[in-house]
Amino acid sequence: MKENKVKLAKYLKEHFPAIIEKDYNYNRIDFSINRELVPSVLRLLKEESGYIHLSHISCVDWLEEEEFELVFIIWSPVDKIKILIHTRIDRNNPVMDNIDKIWRQANTYEREIKEMYGIEFTGLEAADEFLLEDWNGMPPMRRDFDTAAYASNKYYNRPGREDAMDVREEIARHSGEEIPDFAKKYSR
Amino acid sequence: MINDKNSQKIVDHIHNFARKHSLWVLAYGTGCGAIEIPPTMTSRYDAERLGVRGAATPRQADLLLITGYLTTKTLKRVIRVYEQMQDPKYVIGFGSCTINGGMYYDSYNTINALDRYLPVDVYINGCMPRPEAVIAGFTKLQELITAGKADGAAKYKEKLEWYRKNQKNVIPNWTMPEYNW
Repeated sequence: MKENKVKLAKYLKEHFPAIIEKDYNYNRIDFSINRELVPSVLRLLKEESGYIHLSHISCVDWLEEEEFELVFIIWSPVDKIKILIHTRIDRNNPVMDNIDKIWRQANTYEREIKEMYGIEFTGLEAADEFLLEDWNGMPPMRRDFDTAAYASNKYYNRPGREDAMDVREEIARHSGEEIPDFAKKYSR
Repeated sequence: MINDKNSQKIVDHIHNFARKHSLWVLAYGTGCGAIEIPPTMTSRYDAERLGVRGAATPRQADLLLITGYLTTKTLKRVIRVYEQMQDPKYVIGFGSCTINGGMYYDSYNTINALDRYLPVDVYINGCMPRPEAVIAGFTKLQELITAGKADGAAKYKEKLEWYRKNQKNVIPNWTMPEYNW
């Protein structure tokens, strides 16, 4: 495992000098690279090193740094190593290269990220709507989207939802029942 | 033949007696609550002794269970299902999420109060309600039917505009057919 990881890091360093490596215990190794080189790295790993399985594409919102971080998680069934490829893109102009020519299933993840974070993937072939219907406005998984304010604005908040209220007596009165003596001590 | 009030009362009583003992539940689960339905229906709790059974399609069903949180996307389908059901029809709101949003009260895509969008006859509290609570809800509905108070469908027809306004408020692109009430 360890020598495989060292070999892999050396191999990637040869091809992409800009790549930054971060080693973890067990079977995980991380690499960071700028966004233009991500498709080349993924294609190299898939076709030359046997990392044929795309586990996931994840997105992290770095609001304070005005950046999005995309994480591509790939796996080799031979080496049993999980590689995470990190890349940062500009938050104000979020554009990323489409990788669904390398893995077809990337299309699904990209559509989800497009909808939930508003990241454009160049040349992504997809229908307009995936998970959300009739959504116009800020993508909901961005950190500056205020979900509580949105919900209280759009949906009806039933009164009585305030926390730590003792509704025991009201319920008993409503249904015409009496609170038994042993239970009264639990009332506030 | 049965134009006078008293004989209509007797006919209603017989109708309600029959309806009460044959509640067909539409097999349509929203949210996580649907997992409580199999134990309720099968031999352990055996809801069939109360006359509660599953139905395959909306047109054959009497009872719509909204089992848990309802996203705006599902709400569209649920409204359509409800409007296809034939009279007599009843709705049970199942779990805290249908009452006030439950743990999803601040979610951007789940509605908070079901009775703004569909007429609810009985609410079952709990997160999740156990099968005992579900059966208590069924018996409560049966009581209401006997008393002739489970009139959600009539209320829906009466206040259709109010319900439509609320529904269109959360479903901006309204593409559903307007049923002829």
